[in-house]
Amino acid sequence: MDYIYSILTLTGITMIGVMGTYMVTGLTGQFSFGQAAFMAVGGYVSAMLTLRFNLPFPVVVLAGSVAATLTGLLVGMPTIRLRRDYISLVTFGFGEAIISVLNNSAQLTGGAEGLVGIPKRVDLPLVAVSVVCCLFLVACYKNSKFGRQSLALRTDELAARSMGIDVNRMKLVTFLFASAITGYAGVLYAFYSQYLEPGYYNWTVSAEWLIIVFVGGINSLTGAMVSAVILTGLPELLRFASAWRILIYCIIVLLIINYRPNGIFGDWEISRLWKRRKAVQGGRA
Amino acid sequence: MLQNIFFGLSLGAVYSLIAVGFALVFNILKFSNFSHGGVMSFTAYAGYLAYIWIFDGKVTGVAMFVAVVLTAAVVGSLTAVGIERVGFRRLRSNQAPVIYYFISSITLGILLENIITIFASSNFYSYPVFFSSKNVDLLGTSFSVADFVTLLFSTAALGALLFVLYRTKLGLAVRTVSFDVNTATLMGIDPNRVVMATFALSGALGGISGVFLGMNYSLYPQLGQLVVKGFIASVIGGLGSITGAVIGALLLGIIEVGLIGLVGSGWMPACVFVIMLVFLLVRPRGIAGVIVQEKA
Repeated sequence: MDYIYSILTLTGITMIGVMGTYMVTGLTGQFSFGQAAFMAVGGYVSAMLTLRFNLPFPVVVLAGSVAATLTGLLVGMPTIRLRRDYISLVTFGFGEAIISVLNNSAQLTGGAEGLVGIPKRVDLPLVAVSVVCCLFLVACYKNSKFGRQSLALRTDELAARSMGIDVNRMKLVTFLFASAITGYAGVLYAFYSQYLEPGYYNWTVSAEWLIIVFVGGINSLTGAMVSAVILTGLPELLRFASAWRILIYCIIVLLIINYRPNGIFGDWEISRLWKRRKAVQGGRA
Repeated sequence: MLQNIFFGLSLGAVYSLIAVGFALVFNILKFSNFSHGGVMSFTAYAGYLAYIWIFDGKVTGVAMFVAVVLTAAVVGSLTAVGIERVGFRRLRSNQAPVIYYFISSITLGILLENIITIFASSNFYSYPVFFSSKNVDLLGTSFSVADFVTLLFSTAALGALLFVLYRTKLGLAVRTVSFDVNTATLMGIDPNRVVMATFALSGALGGISGVFLGMNYSLYPQLGQLVVKGFIASVIGGLGSITGAVIGALLLGIIEVGLIGLVGSGWMPACVFVIMLVFLLVRPRGIAGVIVQEKA
């Protein structure tokens, strides 16, 4: 039971991380290889504030997300106005830099041996509530003015610009929102696992999230969430060896990219189910 | 001082091989090829296996080194051509958006890394020592032989590449296709062959740099993540420019060696990252000053 419980919790945390990636990639069409690094920032900042200053949990959560957002600003500001390759290359470098900083400030962060002794403040109900709240926020964002403008600029940046959309601002806002959410995921992970190590925040984690988003369908939040559950929860339950698991992911992605480039879900969203029903009822009345 | 600059140059020479291999594909397909790191790990292992299975005991010293490097280069070009076949051929014929190229290259990079992890485990292997750790005395300072050979060999590889690009028919075709695919096709150039050739060239450079990285560090599946040095070098030098990539890489090598002296090797990557950010703020076009415009 404990085992299933922990898988569910970790899957929930991954889902929140995937939401961040979905926003950056699915909405604005940028690629961030530093999402896991933002998670590291959120996790380490909150854990260290708790261990050193004994601050209450809600304050720490806020601090973790804010720290991740600020680092997002630091990375995003110079790169976002340049062509899309820069943000991938720079976030990649950012991930490596964060890991080396964490590894080398041993007296502060525990270095490569990890940060131990974080109190347990997160359990399954909290994660479940967080997933629902974040999902609500992201879905609202997608349907808001911001989300629509982001989608427009992803499809055709020049056309979006000529329609009066402030492309750079939109990209930055979405990127920052995604960093905040990812930072929050990092806080949850820190206070659930009670132990942090730099090696966990490798670029492969960010890339794995990207793959998850892509398998579900780059236009569909529902798809991203379903594939997050299937691709992280299921293999854990079936106890696949992790290297083989990623190998299988990769092959699935290659097949999808070559033969069904819109992902499994295309642009289908679960909210369409009741929207259509409502439309039908409205038509009858 | 002189010794440090020399060490920086030799480090930068390896980075420039990575950066140029990356820039080649960037130039022709206009996207960042993240599978380059995977190719580098893969070839580093291939060179090691070639050493153990084929060359060990038959040749020694410099001959051995050349044999291993050449094997790695050949394996690298084959891998890169395979990657193009599996990952990008269909996308190009479907005229898919750039996003898909990104995803495909990331996936292939991870795939290669994981294949290595599965078959070679994530243990560290140490590369054979090709050169005695002797130093050569020159101008009153001593230089290590390995650095000397690295510099020499990288320069030779880059020279060969530049010769192919600017003095042969194939190079002309590559430059034409990177300028405008459609017109090039109209002029009777087969873009598939040219893209394949570019990937082969980039893979060969990736193979050579893989062996150098394996010699400098040890052999492990994540070795290819050092491709980040090539990324930083291309960002500093100007994305897509080959000369820019070389200058950026040499500069990066010297900066890194200087920073190691100043702040230690642990903090060096963070400092380099900050320097890169500042550089992007001040001169986003990079040293070379040309930036490839995203096609609208």
